[in-house]
Amino acid sequence: MTTSEKPKVKTINRLKSMYALRAEVDKMYAAGEDATNTGKPVAWVMLGQWAEPILTAMDVISIYPENYGSVCAAAGKAAPFLEASDAEGFPSHVCGYARNCFGYSAKMKELGGAIPPSAPMGGMPAPTLLVASSEICDARFKWFQALGRYFNAPLGTIESPYPGLKESIEPGTDERSVQFLIAQLREFVTFLEQLLGRKMNWDKLDEVARGLAGINRLRWEINRLRKAHPGPMHSKDLWSSITAAFFRGSESKAILDGFQKMLEEVKQRVASGESALNVPEKFRLSFDGLPPWHSLDIFDKLAARGWNFVIESNYRPYTPVNIDLSKFGDPLERYVRERFQSTNNTLEGEYTPEEAAAVRDEITRTGNSTILQIKHVRDCRCDGMVIHILLSCRSASLNLCAMQQKAVDLLKVPALVLEGDMVNASLFDPADVLKKAEAFEETMAYYKQMRKEAGIPW
Amino acid sequence: MNGEVFTIYFAGVDLGSTMTKIVILDEGERAVAAVVKHTGAEHRRLAGQVMQEALKNAGLTSDDIQYIVATGYGRINVPFADRHFTELTCHARGVSKLFPNVRLAIDIGGQDSKVLQIRHGKLLDFVMNDKCAAGTGRFLEILAGMLGLKVEDLGPLSLTAKNKAVLASPCTVFIQQEVALHLSNGIAIEEIVAGLHDIIAGKVAKMAKRLKVEPDVVFTGGVARNIGVVKALEENLGCKILVPEEPLLSGASGAALIGKEIVLKAMASGEILPRIERRFEDAKFFT
Amino acid sequence: MVKQALQGMAKVSAINQDRAQRVLELQQAGKKIFGYLCIYPILEMLTAFDIVPFRLFGDINEPVTKANNFLPTVVCPFLRSYLDLGLKGRYSFLDGLITSHICDVGAGVPAIWNYAIKTPYTYHIDTPHTMRESAQAYHRKLMDSLQASLEEYTGRKLEPAKLVDAIKKHNQQRSLVRALYDLKKPDPPLISGAETILMIKAVQSLPVDEGNNLLCEVIAEVKARKNGPVKKAGRLMIWGSILDNSALVEMIESLDANVVMDDTCVGSRPYFDDVKITKNPLDGLAGHYLNHIKCPRTFISDYFAQQKDHITDLKRRYGYLGDYARDWHVNGVVMEALKYCDTHGYEVPSVKDYFTEIGLPSIYLEHDYTLGMMSPLKTRVQGFLEIIA
Repeated sequence: MTTSEKPKVKTINRLKSMYALRAEVDKMYAAGEDATNTGKPVAWVMLGQWAEPILTAMDVISIYPENYGSVCAAAGKAAPFLEASDAEGFPSHVCGYARNCFGYSAKMKELGGAIPPSAPMGGMPAPTLLVASSEICDARFKWFQALGRYFNAPLGTIESPYPGLKESIEPGTDERSVQFLIAQLREFVTFLEQLLGRKMNWDKLDEVARGLAGINRLRWEINRLRKAHPGPMHSKDLWSSITAAFFRGSESKAILDGFQKMLEEVKQRVASGESALNVPEKFRLSFDGLPPWHSLDIFDKLAARGWNFVIESNYRPYTPVNIDLSKFGDPLERYVRERFQSTNNTLEGEYTPEEAAAVRDEITRTGNSTILQIKHVRDCRCDGMVIHILLSCRSASLNLCAMQQKAVDLLKVPALVLEGDMVNASLFDPADVLKKAEAFEETMAYYKQMRKEAGIPW
Repeated sequence: MNGEVFTIYFAGVDLGSTMTKIVILDEGERAVAAVVKHTGAEHRRLAGQVMQEALKNAGLTSDDIQYIVATGYGRINVPFADRHFTELTCHARGVSKLFPNVRLAIDIGGQDSKVLQIRHGKLLDFVMNDKCAAGTGRFLEILAGMLGLKVEDLGPLSLTAKNKAVLASPCTVFIQQEVALHLSNGIAIEEIVAGLHDIIAGKVAKMAKRLKVEPDVVFTGGVARNIGVVKALEENLGCKILVPEEPLLSGASGAALIGKEIVLKAMASGEILPRIERRFEDAKFFT
Repeated sequence: MVKQALQGMAKVSAINQDRAQRVLELQQAGKKIFGYLCIYPILEMLTAFDIVPFRLFGDINEPVTKANNFLPTVVCPFLRSYLDLGLKGRYSFLDGLITSHICDVGAGVPAIWNYAIKTPYTYHIDTPHTMRESAQAYHRKLMDSLQASLEEYTGRKLEPAKLVDAIKKHNQQRSLVRALYDLKKPDPPLISGAETILMIKAVQSLPVDEGNNLLCEVIAEVKARKNGPVKKAGRLMIWGSILDNSALVEMIESLDANVVMDDTCVGSRPYFDDVKITKNPLDGLAGHYLNHIKCPRTFISDYFAQQKDHITDLKRRYGYLGDYARDWHVNGVVMEALKYCDTHGYEVPSVKDYFTEIGLPSIYLEHDYTLGMMSPLKTRVQGFLEIIA
C-alpha cells in the first residue's frame, strides 16, 4: 500500500550525535572492500560480544551477514537473495538474515567467488573464515554450518552458556559459565593462531576490550537517562547508532567519542526537558522485538500521533561489571570477566537490594520472574508496548507473548502486536499498523485507568 | 496382438478439484474420446457419468476398455479405475507425448499449481503449491469476480495494458483490498489484470526456479488458456513457453498412456492383470 | 483390570490411548513421576533416584488454544501443543520436570511453563551445542549440578552403584530397541513404521524395567505373527524433526511403501548407542548425551579444521545415515521437518546433498502438526514413490 508519502514536518527530533555513529557502518563495508584489495583475511561473524574483538586483535576484518541482511532489506535489494535461498532448498521460515546470506552466497558461488553486481554497499567479500556463535540465537550455528555448501572456509564456533533462570542464580553457576567461556575462547584463539600463522596480540585485545567496555558503559548511562519525561531519545536513534557499537566497536576511539557526545546530548535534553518528538509526547512506548528495518518510516508516522518510543528490550547494553581486573593475570580471563553477564549481575546492578532479594525468592520458588523481562516498561513508565513478532526469528519472538501477559498482569500495560519480518518487507503492512495504532490508543487510555485503580503510579 | 483384427482401448480419468477430464486412447495412442466436465461435490458419481459420456462419444462399451488409470486430486474416488497414479506422473507422461523434448512442465489448475522436471519422458523431480490460493486458478476466479469480468476475458484484456499495476501483497485475501484501492485511484482495469497475471506468474516462476529452468518449457492446466499468464510467465522465466492445444487434457491422456504401458508390460511378461468389474452407475455408499 | 492383562502390541495400543495410566498408578503407590522434554535429560539419573521418567509430548488432535496467550504462532508447533496441554492440565500430575537446552524455543518454553503452569520441581540442563573439549567439561559439570539438585529434592545421596545399575537397565532398553529395529531389516519388515512410533511412545511412558519387558513381549510377538506388514515397493527411511504421533508415517504406509528405518527422536535417535560405564558413571553419561545422540541441535563438525570441503564434512556428519540406508536396504528417504524448526530446517539442503552424493533419492516435506496437512502431503509422497519405482 502507499506508505511513501512522508509527513510534512519531521516528527522525530533526531539526536545530532547519532549521525556520526550511523555513518560508521559504511566504514565496515569499506573495510571489507579494502580487505579484498589488500588480501587481509576476512571473517564472516555473527552479532555477539566475544568474537570480533579477538579477530580485531588478530588483524582480521569482521563482516556481519546479519547486518548485511538489514542493509539489503533497507535498500530494497533483499528479495532476489531471499528467492535464491528458497531455490537452494532452505525452508522459507528460517531467519531472514540467513536466507539473505544463503541467496547471496549461492549467487557468489555461481559467479566464481565474485561479489554479486546487485549487492548494495559494495557487498561482502568472500570469507577467509566463518565464525559462528550461539549467543542470542543458537540456530545460528546451523546457518554457518550450511554455508559449507558455498565456501570451503574453515568454521570456528563460540558457544555461550545459557543456564535456566532458576539454575542461573544458584551458587557456582556463574563461575562454571565463566570458565566455559574462557575455555571456548582459548580454543578459538588457538584456531586463529594456527590458521593465520601468527600469534595473538594480547595487548591489543586488552585495549579493544577496554574500549568496548567503555562504549557499553556510555550506552548504559544513556539508557538510564531515557526514563525522563518527555523521553529524550527515540528508539530510532538507538537503532541507528547500535550498528556502530556492535559492528565497529573495536575501532573504539571514534565510537567512544561518538557515544560520549550522545551521552552529553541526551543529558542536555533531559536537563532542558527537550523531547525526542517535535510534537507533544502523548504516549510513551516500548518497542519489543527486532525492528522492521525495511519500514522504519512507520515510526515517523506514529510520532505524528504523539507516540514516543522511549525504550526497547532488544539491543540493550549490559550492566557494567565492577570488578578489579588487575587481579587476573590471564588476558582472556580479564576479557571474559569484564563482560560476562548473568542474572546475578543484572539483579545487583539494576535493582535495589530489597527488590533483588524478592526477585531471587520468586525465581527460586517458581523458576520464573515476572518483572525481569519487563522492567524497562516499568522504569520508563510506558503506556504501551509494541511487540513485533517475526515470522523468521524464533529467538526474538519467543518470549514476546509471555512478556505481554506479564506486563498486563503486573503493570497493567497493554501491548500492540504486530507481525512481520526483519528482512522480508512483504510480510509487514504499514497501513494496517496505522489502523491498529488508532484503536490501540483507546486501549492505552483504558489501561491507564486500570493502573490508576490498581495504584500503579503512572 | 493384431490391431487390425480388434483394437483395445485405454482410458485416463483426471478427477481435478475443478474439472473432471477423461481421455480414451486406442492402442495406436489416438484419442477416440475426450470429455471435460465441472467436478461436482459428488466425485464418484460424476466420474461414472463422464465415463459413460466418453464411451458413448467413442461408440464403445465398458468391455472395450482394457485398462483405466485414475489421477488427479480425486483419484481415489474413481471406483472403476484399475489403478491410480498421481497427477505429477500422469502430467509428465502426457506432456512428454505431445512435446518429446520437454524438460520443465508447469501446470496451474483450479486449486493447486505444480512444476515438473522431466527427462526423456520421465518425471525427475517436482514442486507443488497447494497451501496458498495465489498461484492457482482460484486466485484469478476470485479476482475476475471482483472486477466483474469473465475468467476467459482476462487474458486478451491484459494484452491491451500499457503498464502493469504494482500489487505488493502476496495473499489472495489482502490483494482484494489493493485492487479496490487501485480501482478507486483510477488505475485502468487492464493494468490491474496484467498486474494480477504477473503475481501468479511470479509465484509459479519462483517454484520453477527451485528446479532447473531449461527448454522446452510447457505450460498446461486451465490457466494455460490465459494468454496473459503465458506472456507473464515467459517474462518471469526468460524463455519461450509452449502450450498444448488442449491444455486441460495432458493429465488424463498421460494416465491413459500409463495404462497402456502397464498392459503391454503385463503382456510381455505373461502376467494376467486382474480385471475389475466396470460399473459406472452411481455409487451407493462409500467404502 | 483388563488393561493389566494385555500384552505386547495390544498393550502398546492401550498405553497410547492413555499414556499416563501406569505412572498415575505408580504415583498412587508413592513413586515420584518426572516429565521430561526431548531426549537430552539424563534418564539414568532419575531411575537411579527411583523417580519414574515420563516423556512429554504434544497432541496433534487437540487444537492449540490456551498456548496462544503465551507463545506466538511462529514457533515450533510441537512445543506449542506441549505447552497448550500443560496449560489445560494434561500434565498436572507431574512431581517434577526436567528440560534441556535442545534449542532456543525448547529452552524458552520451560521458562514460560514455570510462569504459567508451575510444577513442584524443575531442572533445566544447559546442554551445550558443540562437542569440543570445553563443552564436554561444561556438560560434565552440569551432571554434578543435576545430581546435587536431585539429592536435595529427594533428601538422599546418590549411590554410584545405583547409577551404574540404572545405566545398565537403560542400556538394556537401548539394545532391545535395536533388536526391534533389526526386525525391520527383512523384506517385508516384521513391524511397520507406524507401529514402531507407538512402541517407542509406550516405552517412554513406562519405568525402564516395564518398558524392557514390553519390548521383549513385542519382539517375540512380532517375530511369530503372520499378519505383519506386506511387501511393498518402497523401503523408506525418515529423517527429521519430532514425530510424536504416527499420522505421517501411517499416511506414507497407506501407499506403496514401508517405513523401515528412521533418524527421528521418537524413533532410533535415543537408542542407537550405549552409555559407556566409566569409573565415575557421570563421565560416561555426560559423554553419551552430548556426543552420541544425533539430533542436529548438536553441532557435529570438524571443529576448527584448517581445511575443509563440503562432501567430506557431509560424510562426517551424516555417514551414519548411509550406514542405516545400507543395512536396512532403504531405496528412498523422506526428509521431514516441522514448520518453524530451524534446527532441522537449516540442515535440509545439506542432508539432501548427502543423499544425492550416495545416490539415494529423497523428498522433503514440511508439516505443521495438523492432520489436515496429510492429504496434500500424500500426493507428494505418492509422486515421489512413482519416481523411484
